[in-house]
Amino acid sequence: MKEIRITVNGKPYELSVRPHATLLEVIREGLGLTGTKEGCGVGECGACTVIMNGKSVNACLVLAPEADGKEITTIEGLANGDKLDPIQQAFYEIGGLQCGFCTPGMIMSTKALLADNPEPSDQEIRKGLEGNFCRCTGYTKIFESVREASRKSRG
Amino acid sequence: MDYAVIGQRVPRVDAREKVTGAAKYAADYSLPDMLWCKVLRSPVVHAKILNIDTSKAERLPGVRAVITARDFGGWTWGFMATTRDEPPLAMGKVRYLHEAVAGVAAIDEEIAEEATELIKVDYEELPGVFDPEEAMKVGAPVIHDYRPNNVSVEYHWNYGDVGKAFAESYIVREDRFKTGRVTKGYLEPPASLAYYDPSGSITVWPAKQSPYFHYRHLAACFRLPLSKVRVVQPFIGGAFGGTKNDSVAGDFCAVMASKKTGKPVKFVYSQEEELSTSKRRHSMITYSKMGATKDGLLTAVQAKVIAEGGAYTAIGPLSMYLAGSSIPIPYKLENFKYDGYRVFTNNPVCAAMRGHGITHTRFAHDLQMEMIAEELGIDFIEMRLRNAIDNPKPGTVYRTVNDVTLKTCGMKEALTAIKEDPIWAQREHTPKKVGSTSFGVGISGTAYSGGARQLGHQACGAVIRLCEDGSVNLLTGATDCGQGSDTVLCMIAAEELGVKLDDVVIKRVDTAYTPCDPGSYGSRVTLLAGQATQIAAAEVKKQLLEAAAKTWSIKPEDIQIRNSVVSLKSNPDKTMTFENLAKLACYSGSGAVILGKGYSSYGLEPLDFKTGSGNSGTSYSFTAQATRLGIDLETGHTTVTDFLIAHDCGRPLNPIGAETQNEGGAVQGLGQAIYEEFVMKRGETLNPTFLDYKMPRSMDVPDIRIIDIITDDPDGPYGAKEASEGSHVSAPPSVISAIHDATGIWFKEQPVTPEKIVKALKEAGKWMKK
Amino acid sequence: MTTFYRRLTRFDYLQPASLDEALSMLGSYKGDAKPLAGGTDLIPQIKGREMAALRVVVDLKAIPGLDAITYDATKGLSIGATATVTAVERSPLVRQYYPMLANALTTMASPQVRNRATITGNICSAVPSADSAPTLLAMEAILRLQNQKGERLVPITQFFTGPRQTVLANDELITEIRIPVPPPKSHGVYLKLSPRKSMDLAVVGVAAFVVREGETCKDVRIALGAVAPTPIREARAESALLGKKLTDESIAEAAGAASSECRPIDDHRAAREYRCDMVYVLTKRALTQIKEEAL
Repeated sequence: MKEIRITVNGKPYELSVRPHATLLEVIREGLGLTGTKEGCGVGECGACTVIMNGKSVNACLVLAPEADGKEITTIEGLANGDKLDPIQQAFYEIGGLQCGFCTPGMIMSTKALLADNPEPSDQEIRKGLEGNFCRCTGYTKIFESVREASRKSRG
Repeated sequence: MDYAVIGQRVPRVDAREKVTGAAKYAADYSLPDMLWCKVLRSPVVHAKILNIDTSKAERLPGVRAVITARDFGGWTWGFMATTRDEPPLAMGKVRYLHEAVAGVAAIDEEIAEEATELIKVDYEELPGVFDPEEAMKVGAPVIHDYRPNNVSVEYHWNYGDVGKAFAESYIVREDRFKTGRVTKGYLEPPASLAYYDPSGSITVWPAKQSPYFHYRHLAACFRLPLSKVRVVQPFIGGAFGGTKNDSVAGDFCAVMASKKTGKPVKFVYSQEEELSTSKRRHSMITYSKMGATKDGLLTAVQAKVIAEGGAYTAIGPLSMYLAGSSIPIPYKLENFKYDGYRVFTNNPVCAAMRGHGITHTRFAHDLQMEMIAEELGIDFIEMRLRNAIDNPKPGTVYRTVNDVTLKTCGMKEALTAIKEDPIWAQREHTPKKVGSTSFGVGISGTAYSGGARQLGHQACGAVIRLCEDGSVNLLTGATDCGQGSDTVLCMIAAEELGVKLDDVVIKRVDTAYTPCDPGSYGSRVTLLAGQATQIAAAEVKKQLLEAAAKTWSIKPEDIQIRNSVVSLKSNPDKTMTFENLAKLACYSGSGAVILGKGYSSYGLEPLDFKTGSGNSGTSYSFTAQATRLGIDLETGHTTVTDFLIAHDCGRPLNPIGAETQNEGGAVQGLGQAIYEEFVMKRGETLNPTFLDYKMPRSMDVPDIRIIDIITDDPDGPYGAKEASEGSHVSAPPSVISAIHDATGIWFKEQPVTPEKIVKALKEAGKWMKK
Repeated sequence: MTTFYRRLTRFDYLQPASLDEALSMLGSYKGDAKPLAGGTDLIPQIKGREMAALRVVVDLKAIPGLDAITYDATKGLSIGATATVTAVERSPLVRQYYPMLANALTTMASPQVRNRATITGNICSAVPSADSAPTLLAMEAILRLQNQKGERLVPITQFFTGPRQTVLANDELITEIRIPVPPPKSHGVYLKLSPRKSMDLAVVGVAAFVVREGETCKDVRIALGAVAPTPIREARAESALLGKKLTDESIAEAAGAASSECRPIDDHRAAREYRCDMVYVLTKRALTQIKEEAL
């Protein structure tokens, strides 16, 4: 077992983890934060996207010990009590979701995208979300949601 | 139509849970002392199972149960009483690669996985057959003894006189079309948490779009009354028909393991497991003969359809029924002959998927009509307009030769909307060739059924419970698997009652409390559960109006309720809040309990699989789709720039929901048309990953515009027809029509990959010289 | 295969604080240890049970300075082993002096993967379609391999030996990728062909790099990915252009030579004939783009 210290959604944790556990397992099973999903387990779908030290990553491809000392944000860390993050609010209003399974990862990737590029072009939005697979929506309202999120975040 | 709630652009009623990550899906559930279940699968394709030795696995520390077929006592299930050929775990024989052979439950998933490696199975391999036409030949390996010729399902229907009609036709074409091996591609792999209570009841939290099918399977398998099987619906991460309408090996193993151990047991499939083993769409070959007059009017269609069924029958009888029964829609057809064969192969099982059955023959016939139009020199939209069924006048019914009835048909209106749109009208003025890219615009005009009825128990119910404070609960067995049915049912309830949408809360399916509903398939929920909801709401409203009438000393008919305000029709200033009316009604006397119940009443005639007559659904949607794309004539790479979808769904009750369904359905159809295919080699799936089973990603999707064609169908709640599958059926022929426009080549097999395009261009002498 | 795994096998995790410590670990564990940088290739392999003997992963990311990206006007670019693909792709130095490399890296996978993956990891995975490989070959990168006993410099052209096979010994690490200073009047283009616009392995990858003297090609490097057991340089195509001007004819000749020389397999991603045809198309396009850029 390895002892690690991680901060998740602003809260510090000291955890005992197996070296061969993934960050995704720690988040979902160790901490009970089930908002981050497992879609494929091999980094091809983005359902497990979290932000680690400011960068979007697939949690299924990070070993638990590698997260030692890191700051992690999951979907549960975005809202402020009842107040949704502008990105969440945009997806909510525009309807950039259907089954919702890709939604946490999609929103986290959007957060990383807008932090890096607050006013992305359509092409930049598509490229920024290329790591997040959605089967339900055809992406159209997801792009609209990101545009709206960009407007909300800037205004 | 001046509806208060219907037709409004509203957020989904579950959007908040989903954007915050609070929505729980099957794999998110846990219980104390929970065990993990893992399924062991066959490494061989077709083989007798000689022996299974589980002793080593049982001895591994942490293992609590090992399950084999023997535990299920020979129980099998299937769509019809005569086709119950599928066991929970392979029984005596495996029929496809990675068929489930055993299950292990252990204290954690790692140990369960390790334990599966310790189970020793002895197989005697048998020759396999992997192509349906090969499997039909004499001497082919027999997959099921009860079908010695490997034909799982066979239909022969005959309407009118095709022979005579062909003889009298000006033009007759014969072509072979093929749809590919494609799958649902949902992001959430199958999963469930199961608890078999030692007192003799089962509770499961499974990812199912038809929870009531699952509860019947479990009741039958474990010999319990239905009242002791409880399916609690988590949120579902996509469904699209097939697997999540059905039960999988993991489900049965988890429940059995729970029965054996007295502990809750959870299983979660991996995505690779899902893509390798799950039920997927049939791949169908259509040998189609089509005749027309000199003016392009269809005279006859003869279709021989050979479908690959995979290793078990599943819902195959319905798939083959649907492939044939909609041939006379949306274009008038007096003569048609259908010979359908569903053939067993040693491949994973083929079952339902969005656009079920109809998509295969619609694709073939829509394209074949264009080929005829090309030969006759008729514009492709014009060809369709000449043949399309007219929108029946109110009060009248259009009836096809096989007794499919339509009360509304917006096919012509949809085609006309496309015709007048710049994407079609201006196509001669948009660049045809830029560098090595050739642009094309294609069109399709298709139909899909909604309000599906199958065999067996198909009714659905809804209960409306008025809380004393005026808030409303809707209980129904209808399942929102992402398509948005929870939202639209709440909208229907709110509209009918006259309350605000926010005042209605839907309780997700829990078979202990919600009335039965077959589930989400065949675009039935808005129509059938919607009707049930409307009836239930009307019953509550009746009781409320009677209470209000008493208080105001007037007749109930004189009162209206809208936006949670109760008022006199003749004097809108005389009002009370809905909340006050609810209190009034509920607290009358020593208290009243105000409930409303309803169940869907249409869909009572059984389908006739033998003759192909009758309605497979309560109504049909009609979709015309234009596609603009560019093909790199050197690499074959296709870039789809635009979809324009004119969709007659009667009336979109939840516009955001209907749009998203259209957009998603069309993109999923695009995937099928040009990207997706399971590459199989002697039963092995070579590309069971998201990397290599190529579904459209964010960079691949076109700009999509939707045009609503309103026909207000009298049979649907508030005029609705289906809005879930039409654009999924319209997309492939539209895309392939556009590919023809860009290359001059007719592609008759999906998917039309870059490689196939280059090959065809070479054969036509149109590829760059080397 | 009888089980579809969701969990990894058991292994231990070590985090050396220095390069010496890391090399000493690899030296003592030999084939039972795997170095870990991004993990984007390693973890799926472990999950798929392709790393049977694995006992230990050695995380290199705590080694100071190993992620450095530096440029020197004579020595060229140095990319440290743990520099992420995103860091390299975004580096102003790389964008200014090696735009072809920056562009090639943007075609890899997804932002999430690029934020973790490393170029070193990409070439050590040695899949024939590795997106960084053709560019590194075309720019004649040199790899610095180190173990406990010392170091060796291996030109990338000698690094790949087969699909998923390299000359890297199991006690060695690539610590640095060096790319020489691009000569004056040089242009490079990497083109990747895949069925979708993202998240695909290359069906064909072509990197072309041309150095000119006056109008003629003084040095030509054409590297291909996904059309042979390893990423390769196309010597015949290169010599078809050497000393010549870039014209439609000379480009077509080079493209034809490249196409006839490549030895791809038929696999579920593409057939041999299609890959060879696409080598022709992409080589022609890359060289044409260079010709137009140079004008």
